[in-house]
Amino acid sequence: MIRAELEGKVLSLISQLSTLKAHELRREQRLREDLGMDSVSSMELLSMVAEELDLDISVEDAAGITTVGGTLELVAQHYERSA
Amino acid sequence: MSVCILGANGFIGTNLVRVLAARGADFRCVRRKTSNVLALRQLKAKLVAGDLDDPESLVRAFTGHEVVIHAAGHYPRSSLRPRESTALALRQTQHALDAAARAKVKRLVFVSTMATVAARPGGLSDERHRHAGAPGFGTYHDLKWEMETLVANEARFETVVVCPGACLGPDDWRIGTQALLLALARGIDPPHPDGTINTVDVRDVALALATIADLSGPPRRLLIASENLSLHAMLAALCDRYRVPKISPPISADAARAIADAEERAVDGTPRRAALAREIVDLVVHGVAVDATLSRRVLGLRYRSLHESLDAFDAWARRMGLLNPPPVPETHP
Repeated sequence: MIRAELEGKVLSLISQLSTLKAHELRREQRLREDLGMDSVSSMELLSMVAEELDLDISVEDAAGITTVGGTLELVAQHYERSA
Repeated sequence: MSVCILGANGFIGTNLVRVLAARGADFRCVRRKTSNVLALRQLKAKLVAGDLDDPESLVRAFTGHEVVIHAAGHYPRSSLRPRESTALALRQTQHALDAAARAKVKRLVFVSTMATVAARPGGLSDERHRHAGAPGFGTYHDLKWEMETLVANEARFETVVVCPGACLGPDDWRIGTQALLLALARGIDPPHPDGTINTVDVRDVALALATIADLSGPPRRLLIASENLSLHAMLAALCDRYRVPKISPPISADAARAIADAEERAVDGTPRRAALAREIVDLVVHGVAVDATLSRRVLGLRYRSLHESLDAFDAWARRMGLLNPPPVPETHP
């Protein structure tokens, strides 16, 4: 999967749990303050991404993610590692 | 013994999965579509789709298992809508019970709460002491009493009600019970009432549940608690541990309820949670000292000390970035 396709998939999943549509999402947006998520839903997001893409994302890694860009970077790193 | 777990991704559930996995037990975890299953995936737990609002999915998930451990009883995020919350809690509990009956489950272990334990005048309460009716202290207490009653009256299969105290330890993603602790550790002086709390290490609750699943002829109700403490005395003693200034004295029960109610109204409809939750106020103000000798004896448990639980909580909270790393001790040449 090319990077743009991967990011599109992740943004689509983020939009399912946030108040914004995928095309309205920006890398600098914060999951909690800007997208209306809480600590639980932001973890649920990473869990959905991990399942959808079959990635072994650890709880520790997921806990450190606070922005849309951070989510995209983490997923890209894991995806490249698993490819 | 084959076990199916509801609430496996929660605070108690995740610790239960660790215990069952370490024992090499045969178990499966029910998960909703949106459940955070990162920890369960790391533990290589078997997952099966199911939802407390979808009875058929529960029947499918339970089928083939002798024991269901139900650690997913409704926890109201707010006390503002008691009727709706209680109706939802009872409906979901009934779904689980009916599904267990249809799936021919032999035993359902239900995780309840100390909120259902009644005070014993002049002494410690034990498994025999239960409120005669919904106690009327608040939404959480009443709803939990109604749920426990429904389970206790179940006659189609064996039920065991487990009442854990205030759980401390790792994997508390929702930061419920430990919210006051985390606030204190971060240097916040949290307004709090005083009263009795029954602390217990979440890993001991997990051990208790795993043991009950296998136990021949367990008691119908068990209290799981390590120490009876005054909340204020515990928080005051922890100031040194976290190297924070001494906390203010406790506020009255009425003042605490007023703060909690105002916070609930302020966060209603948002993803934010009240800094001082109403159910925590009620649990503390109406807390009773308990004697958990029966669970120690029947389950062969040695409950961990408060400090063992706090060490585990601190280590986990630091790994997750919820607490700063401990200060490096100064060295002198």
